[in-house]
Amino acid sequence: MKTVKQNELSVDPDSGRKVRLIFSGLLLLVVIFLILDIFLGSVSIKPVDVIRAIFTNSHGDFETIILKFRLPKAITALTVGVALSLSGLQMQTVFRNPMAGPDVLGISSGASLGVAFVILGFSSNITPESLNGLGNWILVTASWVGAGAVMLLIMIISSRVKDIMTILILGIMLSAGISAVVTIMQYFSNETMLKAYVIWTMGSLGNLTVSQLNVLLISVSAGIILSLFSSKMLNALLLGENYAGSIGLNVKFARAVIFASTSIMAGSVTAFCGPIGFIGIAVPHIVRILFKTSDHKVLIPGTILMGGVVMLFSDIVSQLPGSESVLPVNAVTSLIGIPVVIWVILRNRKYTGSF
Amino acid sequence: MKKNLKEILSLDSLKIGYVSGKNENILLPPLNASADRGELIAVIGRNGIGKSTLLRTLTGLQRLLGGEIFYSGKSIREFSRMELAQKVGYISTEIIKVNNMSVYDLVAMGRFPHTNWTGKIEIIDHEVILDAIEKTSMSSFSGKFISELSDGERQKAMIARILAQDTGIMVMDEPTAFLDVAGKYEIFHLMHTLSRNNNKTIIFSTHDLQMAISQSDKIWLILDNKLIEGAPEDIMLSGAFDHLFNSSTVKFNSEDGTFSSTKDTSGNIFIEGEGSKRYWTEKAINRAGFKVSKEKRIPYIIIPSESDYSWQLVTETGIHRFITVYELIASLRGTIFGPI
Repeated sequence: MKTVKQNELSVDPDSGRKVRLIFSGLLLLVVIFLILDIFLGSVSIKPVDVIRAIFTNSHGDFETIILKFRLPKAITALTVGVALSLSGLQMQTVFRNPMAGPDVLGISSGASLGVAFVILGFSSNITPESLNGLGNWILVTASWVGAGAVMLLIMIISSRVKDIMTILILGIMLSAGISAVVTIMQYFSNETMLKAYVIWTMGSLGNLTVSQLNVLLISVSAGIILSLFSSKMLNALLLGENYAGSIGLNVKFARAVIFASTSIMAGSVTAFCGPIGFIGIAVPHIVRILFKTSDHKVLIPGTILMGGVVMLFSDIVSQLPGSESVLPVNAVTSLIGIPVVIWVILRNRKYTGSF
Repeated sequence: MKKNLKEILSLDSLKIGYVSGKNENILLPPLNASADRGELIAVIGRNGIGKSTLLRTLTGLQRLLGGEIFYSGKSIREFSRMELAQKVGYISTEIIKVNNMSVYDLVAMGRFPHTNWTGKIEIIDHEVILDAIEKTSMSSFSGKFISELSDGERQKAMIARILAQDTGIMVMDEPTAFLDVAGKYEIFHLMHTLSRNNNKTIIFSTHDLQMAISQSDKIWLILDNKLIEGAPEDIMLSGAFDHLFNSSTVKFNSEDGTFSSTKDTSGNIFIEGEGSKRYWTEKAINRAGFKVSKEKRIPYIIIPSESDYSWQLVTETGIHRFITVYELIASLRGTIFGPI
């Protein structure tokens, strides 16, 4: 593994082993939580029945629950966790702002504006249920464009305003402005369109059709590949654009690549699952604490694994295993993410550094 | 014209400045200058004249608005970003604040233009990094996070970073700006060593004129109407430093290379005695607004000697004694002596 060799050549001979150990631990957790997410749910199914459902070709109620509902939902949770966390990591590095994340700076709002244009703007014939194939791609593209436009706007603001908190407040203003626009659009749309949009805004990991899941998986995979390709550029950008340029980075190219992968990942998730808060901002910080490094060759795979772990865990908790009721997953992710964010704010007062 | 083989950098009618919209805002008249291998070059000029812009233009971070910059005879316009990063390294006044980044990681950033697209550190890169850390005497800090370093240590780590970048030229914008006196000397010493022993050309801007004059091989003096280059002594003897500040309250003393504020003198005073006590008494007298006269007449000061431990001020009214320079100056202040 590349990352490990890299670390064997650093100052601390133990660090390579440590990094390998943490990676193995995280990988194990992903597998465990993935299995738990399939095994646990509102309907209790015996483990034997779960295994039978997956590996045999029978068609009972359990099989329907497992194959049509729990398995796609677990895969969605994993994908969403990875996508949001990675886009958060990239935004924090590019904006050099520890508080950056897809939901905080209004990127998710931008994506939802894109979705609103498609659902509310065109015709009442398009509803999330009726969207298939090409329709899904239209929805997700609109979402990317919305996310990308807000990213660009934040970038322009960041180049003028250096203060992290000011940018944060401007991000909140931007989100508020966008939701105002969406409200006006809702006011002028008809009943069917409105219903379709409101259902979409509630967001959920479990409402995806197979074709939507395919679109999500393809988009997020593209984002992950771009992100892995960017690790050297992201490392250079940690130093700020002047130093990055002086050591040979083509800053404009790097930004374009990172913007594209961030918009694709955050936009796709928002398009199909609605806004999910605090994962994107919190997970990269947990990974930094765990690995004690700023090297993206370690942070990116670490964030991919940790994002999956946290989102799967949130999904398991939201199902309240053993009970009939289900919590909104957004509430669970907020409860996990907010303490991390508060910790970062408090620590930053001491260091006044970027991260 | 004989070609200078040691020349690594030359500026030919270079125009620097900013582009805002369609307007080009050119800061200075066309600049001509050159740098040889292994030279330590100080860029001097008043605040806001364009030193930083010049240094940023040299490193390719800002577009040149006319003229040429040649690196070993090849125009800067023909270099890609990556190729340029192998020719010239840069330290700005911006302080890097990244948590969880060790000194080793920071120095390893210097290998950016030498590694493949994954940025993998090979054994040869590792050796260059360790060597750079060693040369800047930062070996005991290599595992430490940069957020835990003092200003001086961080600056040394930054220098190690451009050493690892392995460029012939190092450009530094006010490398000693926020350092204490000891840190300042250490950085100057390091820059001096690198230029002598490692044949690095170091171009740095500074406001510390005395340091620049005593340490650098060459000075690029930027004035409003031209750039003057030469050995510090040549520039001093030509009197060009007098034009550095277009202000009548600052005066350059070409005898010792220092600046002083021109004040109205309150009079002349003679000082009797020798040695360091005389030197410092003279300084104090000057600060109080008096000139030291060459002929002995009342009033005059007698420096403490072996037979007398106090300063004596001889005036028409008698001899006044003072235990400290402070008391002497306090009594002189506000009085006017002798012919002005």
